[in-house]
Amino acid sequence: MLLEISHPAELYHLTNWLDTILQENLPEWGALLVKFVLIGVALLSAYAVIALLLIYGERKITAFFQCRYGPNRVGKWGIIQSVADMIKILIKEIIYIDNVDKFLFYAAPFFVIVASMLTFGAIPFGRGLQAVDFDNGIFYVLAVSSISIIGVLLAGWASNNKYSMIGAMRSGAQFVSYELSAALALMTVVVLSGTMNLSTIVAQQEYVYNWNIVRGHIPAIIAFVLYLISGHAETNRGPFDLPEAESELTAGYHTEYSGLQFGFFYLAEYLNMFIIASIATTVFLGGWQPIQIGVEGFDQIMNYIPSFVWFFGKAFFLVFLSLWVRWTFPRLRIDQLLNLEWKYMLPINMVNLVVMVIVVVYGFYIK
Amino acid sequence: MIEQIIFYALAAIIAICSVLAVTTRKIIRSATYLLFVLLSTAGIYLLLSYHFLAMVQIAVYAGGVMVLFIFSILLTHQPGVDVQFEKPGRMVLSGLAALAGLGLCGHIIYHNVEKVYQYVDFGEIEMTKIGFALMGTDKYQYLLPFEAVSLLLLACIIGAIMIARKR
Amino acid sequence: MTVSQYFSGLFKGIASLIKGLTVTWKELWTPKITQQYPENRATLVISDRFRAELVMPHDENNEHACTACGICQMNCPNGTIKVISKTVETEDGKKKKILDEYHYDQGMCTFCNLCVITCPSDAIKFENTFENAVFTRGKLDLRLNREGSKMREKKKPEPKPAPTAATAEAPKAETPAPKPAAAEVKPVAEAPEVKTAPAVEEPKAPEVKNDTETKE
Repeated sequence: MLLEISHPAELYHLTNWLDTILQENLPEWGALLVKFVLIGVALLSAYAVIALLLIYGERKITAFFQCRYGPNRVGKWGIIQSVADMIKILIKEIIYIDNVDKFLFYAAPFFVIVASMLTFGAIPFGRGLQAVDFDNGIFYVLAVSSISIIGVLLAGWASNNKYSMIGAMRSGAQFVSYELSAALALMTVVVLSGTMNLSTIVAQQEYVYNWNIVRGHIPAIIAFVLYLISGHAETNRGPFDLPEAESELTAGYHTEYSGLQFGFFYLAEYLNMFIIASIATTVFLGGWQPIQIGVEGFDQIMNYIPSFVWFFGKAFFLVFLSLWVRWTFPRLRIDQLLNLEWKYMLPINMVNLVVMVIVVVYGFYIK
Repeated sequence: MIEQIIFYALAAIIAICSVLAVTTRKIIRSATYLLFVLLSTAGIYLLLSYHFLAMVQIAVYAGGVMVLFIFSILLTHQPGVDVQFEKPGRMVLSGLAALAGLGLCGHIIYHNVEKVYQYVDFGEIEMTKIGFALMGTDKYQYLLPFEAVSLLLLACIIGAIMIARKR
Repeated sequence: MTVSQYFSGLFKGIASLIKGLTVTWKELWTPKITQQYPENRATLVISDRFRAELVMPHDENNEHACTACGICQMNCPNGTIKVISKTVETEDGKKKKILDEYHYDQGMCTFCNLCVITCPSDAIKFENTFENAVFTRGKLDLRLNREGSKMREKKKPEPKPAPTAATAEAPKAETPAPKPAAAEVKPVAEAPEVKTAPAVEEPKAPEVKNDTETKE
């Protein structure tokens, strides 16, 4: 009962209530079917809404970094600017291009968006808000997100355009390299937490001194930074945006796409940014756990803030970090990009993994 | 019931896409159909709640091998050009070889299908168990093959570098 | 690359990355100087030097200073200005050329200021009224002299206390004094500034010409 009062605004009350109602009024398969549909709709709409928020936030923060105001005409402070943009993109014509491989051309955006949605489903957004909870959740996330690169490669090839092709090849080389150090950075934390289950990893990090980034101190912080860099590179943004370098390749692999298909790529790009941030949040920064320091009164107050608010707060903070990096550094050349990965990040990651193993074996981490 | 429907759907995708992968004239489409086959196989593993294998299937085959396939196709072959038919004699020969392979594999699977059923009926295996099995040295533990495979991969990497550096 | 070079390069790189991040962090919090234009019309400050529109100042008697000499028309690089003059007979029977219409096609103007610099009588100047958008090109063809305006007569003959001793500066300094009109003070006050520019340039031009002539 005390627990019920301490989490008043949690969404799992709603989901539990829905669950009991469905169980009482429908046969088992019907309840299951309705639940599947509800979860699907909820995830899809969350996907779209988060993308809108991110696009608005990015434009605003970008503007502030460049000493501008950003969108401020559509609605108060321009808050419905991205909604207007979305409507515009939805009603735009899908241009049919001659001499392309039609099947691959139309299938490619779906690869990208399906991969990003599958990853999205596995993220624990809050207390009891996780659609898919595998025992090897981190492995699942890494595996599924790697499908999207096939979509990019196929899009680049099927567009029948050399800019798209070069963009796709660059994107492929970049993604394959940086996925390696992203996975290694996550492995470092798996060594520390001893599990790959995302919900268990979150449950372990109840207090601030239990957060993996604090508990694993130096190697965990290095892994965190490495994961952010490589995740940033995987999403093809910021200083690593060679695949769509505007000045060289017009728009890279999605040059030939228009309307809703372009919208898919666009949406997936923004959501991948959010997914990287939310995996980093879950794994390093305690996921949806509020900031609790072990003092009764303080923890109680922090608990009144619902867990999904904490999650989105932390994730958007990391998104802000990525924007900060994006608007600070100039674009890398392709050789610099590969040098950074293979000569610096990968060796550091491997040494870091060994250091973390030593820390865990000898119990140097903060208990 | 639902599981059976999903199984038949996945099996149909695997069968159709396998046929399409070998009959299509464009090599890059062939690679894409192969990707669908691999993903559906991962789906069947998931249906058997064999999650780790499903993830490995997606990560290694769909995410790794297929990306390399597509990459190498884009880099080397002329991907837009239709593949030419082989000579009739070769076609007959390869058809016979394929049938022989099908017969051999079918025979083995047919005679061992009951055993396979026993192995599968575990439910989800814990990740820690798999980890210990991969890294242990006891009976039914696989440290030696694991290291042997990694040695093989190391040799491959060094070989690739040697080939790449030879001008 | 030695091991020490590798590590020094790594740490120097990290240090410079952090330096870059601090710079952009400061930039994030600097006050934004963007002008929210249509809303801030009342408080908008446009620099006096901004050249938006050519005007011909008229005083309260509807008089301008243009002598219809056509120098501005000749100096305009892209034919923006068209001076239409007419010849009239003055009271004492002399024929005199006066300005009939002064046409200025704003759509052609590059705002180079050559007409203002070369005008010998400071009859025209550039204003900073920048909201010049219209719906048809025809509306950009402006007539600068007002209806019924005439040239300002020089009232020199009346005050002649010391005609011989007067330096060149004296009449110039005296002319603004009897005119209290606020609108007229500005161009006259600016006149010496504007006049200095050709004064510096003019001696150069003949020098160059002489050089070319001697060479030839």
